[in-house]
Amino acid sequence: MHRGALAALVVVAGCDNLTGFDGEITPLVTMRVQATGDFESVRVPNALDEDLQVAVVWGTQWLPEPLCFVPPESPEVATTVAAGCRNPLSFTPVQVTSGVPLSPTAPTDLSLYELPAADLLFGSVTARVAYASLVIYDDRDHSGTLELARAHRQPTRGFDQEEDVPTNDIVYGASFVAMTEPDSRLAYREGTFVETGYFPRHGCGQPLPAFSILTAGGFSILDAVVATQNNMLPSQDPATCSEAKPEDTIVKIPLRPTAQVREVGCEQRRLDSSVRYREPPEMSPDLTMRPFACAKIPSLSGDMTSNSQIQLVIGTGPDETCKGITHYTLLGCDEGKLECDHPEWDYRATPPDWWPCPQAAQ
Amino acid sequence: MARRLLVLTSLLIARTAAAEGPTLATDSFEYHSGGTVLVDGGLVLGFPTALPTGMSKGIGAGVTFGDCPLRWGARAAWVTATESTRAWMVTNSDLRLRVTGSAQHDEGRGSFGVRLGLGGTLVHETRTRNQGARAGRTGSELETSALAMVPAGDLEAVVGLHLLGPWLLTVSGGPSLAVVDGSLHTSWTAQLGVAWQP
Repeated sequence: MHRGALAALVVVAGCDNLTGFDGEITPLVTMRVQATGDFESVRVPNALDEDLQVAVVWGTQWLPEPLCFVPPESPEVATTVAAGCRNPLSFTPVQVTSGVPLSPTAPTDLSLYELPAADLLFGSVTARVAYASLVIYDDRDHSGTLELARAHRQPTRGFDQEEDVPTNDIVYGASFVAMTEPDSRLAYREGTFVETGYFPRHGCGQPLPAFSILTAGGFSILDAVVATQNNMLPSQDPATCSEAKPEDTIVKIPLRPTAQVREVGCEQRRLDSSVRYREPPEMSPDLTMRPFACAKIPSLSGDMTSNSQIQLVIGTGPDETCKGITHYTLLGCDEGKLECDHPEWDYRATPPDWWPCPQAAQ
Repeated sequence: MARRLLVLTSLLIARTAAAEGPTLATDSFEYHSGGTVLVDGGLVLGFPTALPTGMSKGIGAGVTFGDCPLRWGARAAWVTATESTRAWMVTNSDLRLRVTGSAQHDEGRGSFGVRLGLGGTLVHETRTRNQGARAGRTGSELETSALAMVPAGDLEAVVGLHLLGPWLLTVSGGPSLAVVDGSLHTSWTAQLGVAWQP
């Protein structure tokens, strides 16, 4: 009797389904996203049959090149800088997760199935954080993800051409466009929180452990400059700050003209403010609709040396997806440097016919 | 110097042993066989019962009754395997329970046979969401478990070698079948162990 009861107990106890590696994968976090505004009013002309999606785009630190923040030496340089330099406090994307179709009328659930990798986290292993922008885009190529674009560079001679990333995807909105605007960002935090210059929210509360949705009102470039001079972080208005669990909030993303938000989809070739100077080509680069200027090599207060060359700088055209500046010099070195023992090219004696600049500063 | 002396001494010992000739005879270690009860146990390796990949490791034991050539008995084994994908880390612990029947032939110190085992395997499955703890997941969002008894059977070749007295070295292995969620799941199992046959 007892043996039979024991056998029956074993059989009855073991009646669950074994799932193994199959079955639905549990998301690590799910956010609710809702687009606001009228899409038709911001639609790019002739971009019909839209495939609107929303994706998580992780950000990285980025420093603008010196030409973009030193006072311009001429109106032509100012025009070129305006056309080729992005907002120095822009959100800078580095990695995109797969997108999900965006419902135009109701909140859309956006789930993450993997944590940001270690190279996306800023800080030490005991206190690190990553921030992401939730980006609405028209997936024109139906790839299911947002392809990050790069600024187009004018042709060069000597180096291999840098690859431009062709993308037709159109960004129509983002929860985090720049630190100069109000933002809602996805935060992922491990360990304790240490305030740094990585998309700072000085004056706001700390990100919650693991995932959270943070908001902040933003600060002006002037505030950032003044704070930097005082060796501080620019402050946010505490009234604009919030920290919430992703499941407790709906992230509202206004639809905007793509010209206002497309830099969210532009990855940067260099993150450390360094410049790659290029060898001028034999034929003139295409300067149609692209502002250009002759400019000195910017010298900052901490630089040990200064260079007397005059460079040709070319900005991007109004229809190009990403902003960027191409730098040409008559003398240059491998890897785009200006100073070396054996220059890679030297056209000071025989500049190209189209070269519009003087050879050296007067 | 000391190393050279050691090498020289080793050579002399080896020469002496060679001169004396073999001293190990077949009956140097006496054994006895023919008992009607055999108890064995050892290390078990095999394919997991329900996982599609991996190697299960554990221990097993059994008892066999009867005279040669036909015998019957019961066996139990406990093995575990842990495998991962990008999303899941799955641990399966299998308790294999079998009633066995075997045909056996003894030849000198050796014992050769085929053993058929039928019964069930109690599978305990634990699924842990990879990265879930770092993401702050808890409860069933982080880990789930299940328990299932599945019908199973093994067909094993069994080799025993009488070593000393009632003690044997045993090796067994062969294919295994289980019905998991209505589908037939093939695998294999093997055991290396010792047996006691008074």
